[in-house]
Amino acid sequence: MLREVTEDEFRQSVNEGLVLADFFSSTCGPCKMLSFVLADVEKVCGEKVNIMKVDFDKNKKLVEEYEVSGYPTLILMRDGAELKRMSGLQQKPAIIRMIEEA
Amino acid sequence: MADYDLIIIGSGPAGMTASIYAARANLSVLMLDKLAPGGQIINTNEIQNYTGMGTINGAELAIQMFQHTQELQVAFDYKTVREVKVEDGLKTVFCEEDDAVYTAYAVILCTGTRPRMLGVEHETRYAGNGISWCAICDGAACRGKDVVVVGGGNSAVEESIYLAEIVKSLTIVTMFDLTADPIACDKLRGMENVKIYPYQDVLDFYGEKKLGGIHFKSTETGEENRVACDQVFEYIGLTPTTECFKDLGILNEMGYVKVDAQMATEIPGIFGAGDCVTKNLRQVITACADGAIAAQSAARYVQGMK
Repeated sequence: MLREVTEDEFRQSVNEGLVLADFFSSTCGPCKMLSFVLADVEKVCGEKVNIMKVDFDKNKKLVEEYEVSGYPTLILMRDGAELKRMSGLQQKPAIIRMIEEA
Repeated sequence: MADYDLIIIGSGPAGMTASIYAARANLSVLMLDKLAPGGQIINTNEIQNYTGMGTINGAELAIQMFQHTQELQVAFDYKTVREVKVEDGLKTVFCEEDDAVYTAYAVILCTGTRPRMLGVEHETRYAGNGISWCAICDGAACRGKDVVVVGGGNSAVEESIYLAEIVKSLTIVTMFDLTADPIACDKLRGMENVKIYPYQDVLDFYGEKKLGGIHFKSTETGEENRVACDQVFEYIGLTPTTECFKDLGILNEMGYVKVDAQMATEIPGIFGAGDCVTKNLRQVITACADGAIAAQSAARYVQGMK
């Protein structure tokens, strides 16, 4: 399920199964378009992965903890362990492939 | 029999407008894009010169344009076009993803441009990790930090004005002097936390795990400087995204698609629109105009083919 989360909500869910964290900046155009792409990704993979959007401005601890330095940044994790990371606006097929190969 | 009447490659303002006009001309249309709708406008925080829109965020305009195409049920897919071939009037579009192949009677090339890179040492190492080409993406995270902008044209100066209001210090490193609109240049020069180094060649970037700074040399005096910084933004121009069309023989020496006033190339049934074509003024509104003209031309061509 694609949704924006708080730090507490993130920590509650990040260790459960496959998670795709989308770190974004609210002023960032590519971040807005990535949300658009992720809505399409969710239609294909929504049952397999939990997609959580993290606003960098509201979640500075998470940004520092995950060493995010640019926006948007996607981090794919399984049971809390990072599997893969992508920076910038990404293609829908590439995101789906990353999820399916996890 | 082709899969579609018309394939539009690229879904920026030109491509999306072309798709609307083509759909309204009762053509079957497929629009392809390797990333997402919008093209360059998604990197623009405020668009203030698109008639009727006042001031609008680029990504929001892109989403509104895309929704308009979907009201007309334009087919859209995420695909990277590798090549276009023409045989007996039929156009075949080859894509990288799943080796997908589509055919059409006509094609409109709307692939736009992408930011140019310096091509100096360590640039790719820090790309996305200290070096950015998008101030509205990464600028907000630079609040209170030391930032460098490379470039002195309109984009560089406009984004620098935006950045100077949030960062601790802003250093401009540019090949010539500032070449943007004089009013914008004067405003930037008057900002207290801005220092400008004109007539410089960037030599390399340095740092450890993260970017530490930028190294450059004066083309006038030979003096070298190193400026420590947390983030660099490059705004040094654009290059056309037309490599996949190089075998069609329709590009000029700079890589732009050569078109006439009807947006037609020398190959019957292949048209171009938007930033990727030869033109003087690259704006959202002129891209849309190109798309409309190209679609009308394509519609006349397809009707003649059927």
